[in-house]
Amino acid sequence: MCPALILFYKGFMSKTYKVDIPSIKGGNDVSLHYTLSVVQAPKVTSKAMGPQREGSLPGLNKSATLWADMARWFGDDIRSILLNLKGVDFNEVEELRLRVGQPLLVRTLDKDLFINQEGLAASPQKAYFIKHEDLASAIERMTHSSVYAVEEDLKQGFITLPGGNRVGITGEAVLLNGQIQTIKHISSLNLRIARDIRGLSLKILPLLLSSDGSICHTLIISPPRAGKTTLLRDLIRSISNGVPQVGLKGQTVGVVDERGELAGMWQGVPTYDLGFRTDVLDGCPKASGMSMMVRSMSPQVLAMDEIGHTDDVIAIADALRTGVQILSTAHASSIEEAQNRPVITHLLDQGVFERLVVLSRQHGPGTIEGVYDLRTGRIL
Amino acid sequence: MLVLGCIALITGCGCLGLWLAYRIRRRPMELRECSMALALLDTEIVWGATPLPEAFCILKERTDSPWQDFFAELQERLQQGESASTAWRETMITRNAQFCLKPEDWQVIGDVGKGLGRSDRTEQHKQIELVQRQLIIMKEQAEVWSSKQAKMWSYLGFLGGIAGVLILI
Repeated sequence: MCPALILFYKGFMSKTYKVDIPSIKGGNDVSLHYTLSVVQAPKVTSKAMGPQREGSLPGLNKSATLWADMARWFGDDIRSILLNLKGVDFNEVEELRLRVGQPLLVRTLDKDLFINQEGLAASPQKAYFIKHEDLASAIERMTHSSVYAVEEDLKQGFITLPGGNRVGITGEAVLLNGQIQTIKHISSLNLRIARDIRGLSLKILPLLLSSDGSICHTLIISPPRAGKTTLLRDLIRSISNGVPQVGLKGQTVGVVDERGELAGMWQGVPTYDLGFRTDVLDGCPKASGMSMMVRSMSPQVLAMDEIGHTDDVIAIADALRTGVQILSTAHASSIEEAQNRPVITHLLDQGVFERLVVLSRQHGPGTIEGVYDLRTGRIL
Repeated sequence: MLVLGCIALITGCGCLGLWLAYRIRRRPMELRECSMALALLDTEIVWGATPLPEAFCILKERTDSPWQDFFAELQERLQQGESASTAWRETMITRNAQFCLKPEDWQVIGDVGKGLGRSDRTEQHKQIELVQRQLIIMKEQAEVWSSKQAKMWSYLGFLGGIAGVLILI
């Protein structure tokens, strides 16, 4: 047999080739220009993305489904614990805390539960102790293996999951010229479960209306975990849709959702219903977002969460001159505390806000301590 | 009967030669498409900060088979919670047979997965750009090689068949 034929035969026998007749495509078809085309990704449903709407599923099944949905963000060990979790109603859970070398902690409305390997509440000593791999795996899943996509959020110490659940992160800050570049050696995660409670704002809404039926410039203050964001979300929805019972007509609302918690945007679609007349600017810094919103969407009401930066104050002062009403939140447990925060006190001194809503956890998250008329100083 | 056997042998060897030539010609094309896909991935990461599953979905729609299937599998693996590096490595193993690439090509393509998604956009850009540069060099070499080899195998198949017939007769 001729040598060429032998070589040919050997080559053929050494590999199993799959004969494929592809349509040969020129590289010209692959555009390098980024387009804003709608990606045909798996459809995001409220169930898949995790907003917890009241009354959508019955009892235990609902809780188990929501736990299963939450478990997908964790590695095998924690996922199996969360899937087997017994006696913890998801609707009562506020936070999941994972700290390296410390027990797995589930914080409910009124107690802290340490969870063991079997998914039962146990003493701290017998609970499941978090390993570094658990955190690494969780971060990998929460970012979809795309740390670059959340690098700006990481610099601020949090990431927002699809659906608006926020994950606080601590670790070792990496600095460059005094600026935080990223966080490495992550040591703790705090997954805060976002809530969407409809009708929450109806109690205070009549107090926020001026004599001509428009919304007053309003600031909501509370300590963390007292329901600021949940109340603001419902206020936005009510203002946007209108509430005829209190004489409020639907108004155009512009939401600057810097942290992605208010709307829970996922690939351009809000997970939470913010009303018929709401435009959302997602992930944009508040200061620049406010002016963008005013210029481009001409809102009647401008809403944003957690003001606290000097730039926010300048942007709010600027927005006020355009005739929009401001709706915002800030961290402080009382008027006195708010007045001691330089940025907030500046806004209060300037008389920017007409109404101040104070929330607490006295009778659970969202307890309304008082609504103040800042022009007169009266409690309404 | 003898004549039919001779014709069958020549045709068989000729087809094998043509098929091998086709595979040789495919290699630079696949390398070029990979390079294009990486450019697109780079754009998605740097310009759009698009998370990898979504970026792979876009790549899947803008490439042809076999790269289309490659990115579709990657997207599926990432959505199931696999890490980017594991998903890239495993997809290379499972989809290897669909390509006409050589082991040295896979070695370079495999480098993409090593740091994928683990750093900021600037670093991701650097890594992808490095692989792209290597792929372009390999593609140019493959083009020169394929233009000679593909022609040779196209003829060699039939000539081998004829030689086989002569030897057997």
